[in-house]
Amino acid sequence: MKDQNEIAVSFSHVSMQFPGVLANDDISLDIRRGEIFALVGENGAGKSTLMNLLYGIHTPTSGEITVQGEKITQFSPKNAIAHGVGMVHQHFMLVPSFTVAQNIVMRQEPRKLGLFFDNRAAEDITRQLVAEYGLQVEPSAVVQEISVGLQQRVEILKAFYRGADILILDEPTAVLTPQETDELFDVIRRIVAEKNMTVIIITHKLGEVMAISHRVGVMRKGKLVGVEETAHVTQRQLASMMVGRPVLFDQLARTGTRGAVQIAVEDLTVQNDRGLRAVNGLSLQVHAGEVLGIAAIEGNGQSELLEAIAGMRPVTGGSICICGQNAVGRTPGEIRAMGLAHIPEDRLATGVSKDASVQDNLLVGKHMLPEFNRFGFHQDTRAIAQYSQQIYDSFDIRGSGIDMRVGDMSGGNMQKVVVAREFSFDTPVLLISQPTRGVDVGAMAFFHSRIIEKRNSGCAILLVSADLDEVFRLSDRIITLYEGEITGEFDPSAISKEEIGYYMTGSRSGKELAHEEA
Amino acid sequence: MKKRKLIHWDYLLALAISVLLAFAIGAVILAVSGHHPGTAYLAMFQGAFSNARHFGDVLEYAMVLCLCGLACVLGARVGIFNVGGEGQLLLGAIAAAQVGVWLSGVTAWVTIPLAALAAIATGALYALIPGVLKVKVKVNEVITTIMLNTIAASLCQYLAKGPWNSASKTIVAGTEQLSAQHWFGGLIPGSSLSTAIFAAAIMAFLIWYVMQKTSKGFEMKLTGQNPRFARFSGIKTDRLVITCMAISGAICGLVGMFRVYGAEHMYKSSVSNDYYFEGLMVAMIAQYQPVPVMLLSLFFAVLKIGAQGMELSAGVPNQIYLIIQTIIIFCMAAQSGISASLRAKTGKRKASAAEGGKDNG
Repeated sequence: MKDQNEIAVSFSHVSMQFPGVLANDDISLDIRRGEIFALVGENGAGKSTLMNLLYGIHTPTSGEITVQGEKITQFSPKNAIAHGVGMVHQHFMLVPSFTVAQNIVMRQEPRKLGLFFDNRAAEDITRQLVAEYGLQVEPSAVVQEISVGLQQRVEILKAFYRGADILILDEPTAVLTPQETDELFDVIRRIVAEKNMTVIIITHKLGEVMAISHRVGVMRKGKLVGVEETAHVTQRQLASMMVGRPVLFDQLARTGTRGAVQIAVEDLTVQNDRGLRAVNGLSLQVHAGEVLGIAAIEGNGQSELLEAIAGMRPVTGGSICICGQNAVGRTPGEIRAMGLAHIPEDRLATGVSKDASVQDNLLVGKHMLPEFNRFGFHQDTRAIAQYSQQIYDSFDIRGSGIDMRVGDMSGGNMQKVVVAREFSFDTPVLLISQPTRGVDVGAMAFFHSRIIEKRNSGCAILLVSADLDEVFRLSDRIITLYEGEITGEFDPSAISKEEIGYYMTGSRSGKELAHEEA
Repeated sequence: MKKRKLIHWDYLLALAISVLLAFAIGAVILAVSGHHPGTAYLAMFQGAFSNARHFGDVLEYAMVLCLCGLACVLGARVGIFNVGGEGQLLLGAIAAAQVGVWLSGVTAWVTIPLAALAAIATGALYALIPGVLKVKVKVNEVITTIMLNTIAASLCQYLAKGPWNSASKTIVAGTEQLSAQHWFGGLIPGSSLSTAIFAAAIMAFLIWYVMQKTSKGFEMKLTGQNPRFARFSGIKTDRLVITCMAISGAICGLVGMFRVYGAEHMYKSSVSNDYYFEGLMVAMIAQYQPVPVMLLSLFFAVLKIGAQGMELSAGVPNQIYLIIQTIIIFCMAAQSGISASLRAKTGKRKASAAEGGKDNG
């Protein structure tokens, strides 16, 4: 029996029932004061739901939650904050046009004469917090002009300002470079040690679990399947606990030889949605039978680059050749006809029609082929059903069948629909963006082996992924991108992730200095 | 392909409840205003079915509703909401009417096709304006089509009173009457029903067939559901949207011609009394599915013509029809709103249960 004072948070038989989904199933868990607790699990395992309960966003269907020895009766973020619980969401909740200090004091602003916002006091408060917690940020900087890593610090400081001593971080490293991740972890370790705080990290990156946590809880299908001292488990064991079976990451066998250039991009410039230059005079070539991986922090032009190649975004300068044919100024359909298939980064917005059936989503692109049309226009439903059933089975898509609405599928299965369709075109060129985002560990291995199969069969593949491990695992060459320009090209076997990280941040520090001087 | 999915049970249930509720509220209003609801509804029923003349009017009005509704569905299927059908209808009507006036001595074999061509061309061209604006410069089509309705109505009024006005002093705002050899044959003496209904039936079948059974219809559906995905998949979405809008306008133009050649025999303002908007309502209630549009058109035609009969026989103002119709629309709108918000809530919960956040964007 542990001393009551030692327990920061206690879940006792907590269940959360959503319509049709038992998101949390009878969870009992004690989290100690002064520890870093990692919560891992596949997508849909219920980690975020459990933490949302603690932060008061939902009210549990049954069970009790006790914070600092006090039973929570009223579930609201306001009450959670009053109990010292702070949460940094994956998507930051900051006002982009406000300064760091204004964001931090928001909703508890210092006032002059009880009426007017006191900006100087806000900045003083921020400076004190910065000194106290060792999280360096400039109080007067405007949030939209600072890096994502700094924005995250602002979020954390905001939680501290509101008196948090139990801090929940939801996927904190998803948007960080390796260096920023290391810095964040250093800060967390120090704060936990100095202030005797409690930090709960939701993550699916097992490497980080090993690096930072004292204990780790594994969730699967709404249940807490195990709580371990981190020192006593291996990544492999955790992965097996997460998916409920051993996960095999086989060595990916690479065969075949590099062939002709299939994607040739010369001096390309592309604008982003805001009309700013996102890709800046970029040139690259991808050969048949190789995977060129792009390592870049989100928002450095990689999305715009792939969209431009696929014809989804207008090109403002330069040239693109797909299989020797000019692709500038062509429609996506025309570029596909040249021999390109594309797995887009945002599968919900671009990769599927979620209101359509699996069958429709697998068919599109081939729907005009003679084998699916009688008299050239009448849909041959039998042939279509047969074809999509065959793809469905060969890709091991799991759902209620080819009539299922795609929007009702899990992220991993939806991605299988996208990949299955794009692979079925058997094109010589493939653009692949975030192939395993939001996909569980088991399916990830499946996608990786399919991608390498494509490579071995002579496909030219351009890969973008926010997951550096994935880029290293799949690529024959890696280029780093920073602010729309290539900052380096590497052989993945000859460089470390940390080193790549430096190139991914380009000359960021230098540019910021130049800004300040100007 | 998945026809069973087109009509959901909850939709049918909601529709039945809405209709019953509308009649119940209508009954209360009737009772409060001193009419016996039973008598009034009986008179309404008789008004629609008691004699062939009225039933002919029911069919004619059902045809108008159905074609207008399908024109709306055609746009909605690709994600463009044609509110401008009224204007397209009026322009088609007056163009067809004037062609008939110019060619009054010519054989029907020449005049009718040319008049139909004129109706199709004016309706389609007039619909192209908002269609092209929407696709090329992203101007909201609802606003442009509503504005264009006003312009079309005023233009037709001007033409009917001015340059194309009938020489007959009894007609203030209307074109010359068509030569009788050009009239569509009446099917039931005394009613507005004409042979146009056969053309309408063929059109309705074709619209249904293209939308539900062909690869083009498949492209239309995907374009309406997720235009970005459709474009990404290689579908020429811009062209598809513009084409559908033009066809939608052409259908409306033809409806105008049918009204002129089948019922009114000249252009005058009674060619359409916001008929397109009633068709649009039907399309909304039918959730933009072609077969329900056809069935509901008949239902609302019965109500409308029946209500006119009721006014004559029982002295109940036919506005009761409008009340019932709008209550049904209101209930159906509320139903889809309520079930959408329920779905969104469960969806959001599922999403947060499914966590990861990245996936549900």
